[in-house]
Amino acid sequence: MDPFSSSSPTGSSPNFSPEDLMDQLKTQLAQAYAEEFLETVRGKCFDKCITKPGNSLSGSEGSCISRCVERYIEATGIVGRALFNQPR
Amino acid sequence: MVSEMIGKLTSACWDKCITGTPGSKFSSSESTCLANCAQRYMDMSLIIMKRLQQ
Repeated sequence: MDPFSSSSPTGSSPNFSPEDLMDQLKTQLAQAYAEEFLETVRGKCFDKCITKPGNSLSGSEGSCISRCVERYIEATGIVGRALFNQPR
Repeated sequence: MVSEMIGKLTSACWDKCITGTPGSKFSSSESTCLANCAQRYMDMSLIIMKRLQQ
């Protein structure tokens, strides 16, 4: 048996069904969107909250960042619902 | 993809509507602006499609 095949009774190489590939694709897509979301939030909150970078993060900068993340998540909900004409 | 559109739209509408420092909640004008922004974007999208079909 070669190192690339699983130990199946027939000794054949593993078959990835279309469903398996679809599931993998969906997972990877979800991960990509999550990373993009994270990067967007980082950018927005950096712009809003870290206006003059000091030699450490101040308390007000920290609370600004927390609020910013909460507001951005809330904004995502508002925009998502508005796209489908849901009442706010 | 719907989630891609929501992502891009939220980013654009955030820039248009949230002009100051983020507070502990949205003002009603901010949340109204966000909802309006999304809906006006869809209106615009429809106009563009109709225009391009002529």
